[in-house]
Amino acid sequence: MLRDTIQRFLVDTAQVDPAKFQRPGLRVAELDLDSLGLVEMLFEVEDRYGFQIKEPMRYMDMTFDEMVSDIEQAVREHHGGKLPEDGRATG
Amino acid sequence: MPQAERANAVWITGIGAFCPLGTDAASSIERALSGRSAIGPAPSAVCEWMPHSLAAQAPDPLPLLDRQGQSLDRATQLALVACDEALSQSGLLQESVQADRNRIGIYGGIGFGGAQTVDSLYTRYHQAMENHSQTGRNPTIMHPLSVPRMMANAPVAAVSMKYGLRGSSYTYSVACASSAVALGEAMRAIRQGWLDAAVVFGTEAMINPGAYMAWNALRVLAKGEGTEASLSCRPFDRQRSGFVLGEGSASLVLERADLARQRMVRPLAELCGYGTSSDATHLTAPSREGQERAMREALIDAGLQPTDIGYLNAHGTATEAGDTIEAQSIRAVFAEHADHLPVSSTKSMHGHLIGAAGALELALAVLAMNRGALPPTAGLVEPDPACDLLHVVGKAHQAPAVNAVMSNSFAFGGSNACLVARRVS
Repeated sequence: MLRDTIQRFLVDTAQVDPAKFQRPGLRVAELDLDSLGLVEMLFEVEDRYGFQIKEPMRYMDMTFDEMVSDIEQAVREHHGGKLPEDGRATG
Repeated sequence: MPQAERANAVWITGIGAFCPLGTDAASSIERALSGRSAIGPAPSAVCEWMPHSLAAQAPDPLPLLDRQGQSLDRATQLALVACDEALSQSGLLQESVQADRNRIGIYGGIGFGGAQTVDSLYTRYHQAMENHSQTGRNPTIMHPLSVPRMMANAPVAAVSMKYGLRGSSYTYSVACASSAVALGEAMRAIRQGWLDAAVVFGTEAMINPGAYMAWNALRVLAKGEGTEASLSCRPFDRQRSGFVLGEGSASLVLERADLARQRMVRPLAELCGYGTSSDATHLTAPSREGQERAMREALIDAGLQPTDIGYLNAHGTATEAGDTIEAQSIRAVFAEHADHLPVSSTKSMHGHLIGAAGALELALAVLAMNRGALPPTAGLVEPDPACDLLHVVGKAHQAPAVNAVMSNSFAFGGSNACLVARRVS
């Protein structure tokens, strides 16, 4: 679900080719986002869950899966270990 | 009049408008000539705490923009639409022209910058703070594009990127004179050989609660209570009570006349005179001396006599002091010709577009000259004897023989700008 949110932004707004997400071991750097695009992507999560994700540029050295796990961990840290269905509604 | 065109003359080859009067230049001048005001009630978010507030709102630009354009601040969106029309009319970017885009500048005028973005940011912040105890959300989470959207030069940047224009890009923020200054400075840059052409525009979009309450506090806005909205802004009238905040954009393409002539363009006019001055007296009060100097300088720059001017689009904000001082300044500069010089303030119909006012009003003056008809000051019923001018009242005044027009823009901060354009024979 977190992955869907991020992927939807990347495809719809950042115009990333949806086929890319089929690649095993897809790296964040392969999404061809510039630094502004990267923080716009993170805002999709930040806006839902109400906190700012730290040091965005480190994701450029990760795979897409690693980034999603890292973000999920950060969300759980801010929500008492949970990953709320809809951050906007449940806080 | 008319003298020979100067060697480095600057032509206006395209005009675009997206403003309360219409979605393009043709519909805007049509509406202005009809004398029907586009002023109405302000949006409900404004009226909630400031009842009877008025505004002159622009049409919705979103359907005319691509997805990227839709994500920008409203002031930038309005500018993109107006510039598209002006550029398209000029034909400057047609492939066959092979214009050197390194020599095309982008000159913008804006008073407040991305006011909509700023207002949304604070609204979001305050709501999030209020709700913090329930949500636990950090109220400071904002969109990462907030700064690039709100920065004053965002519209100029967007126009430059959209058309690949790589000459100098400047943003002038001179309150109500912003886009008049942008036009004058672009004209100078072309004359001096720094540029071959420039797309110049003014834009403003701040009809939101944050900006509106600031204007309201200044006590310069027209009273909305007990008057019909469309007759609320009455420049030069005894009953005038101030201006109505407007929004929108107007754009003019300026080109070096010799290059434009080579590509067989029919110019809309020559932008031939520009004068500026600073009052150095008061933050908001106008000064006759400063205004007169700007008008005289513009005439000298144009190489014209006062008697050559056939229409003057006044700054005419319908404030008590502003209109009286401007009328006196016009009298002083034009002397007895003032008895024969038709004057109107189109702000009575499109509201005060602040940073976009200078560009829209020069555009309307040029279009009026070319149409041979002058727009009236709507709502002017009983002229104030202290504003002794030849007012255009009621409906359009037929004037086929106008060969040169003047447009005044006098800004808070004491910055004055005056432009003169003339017919190209």
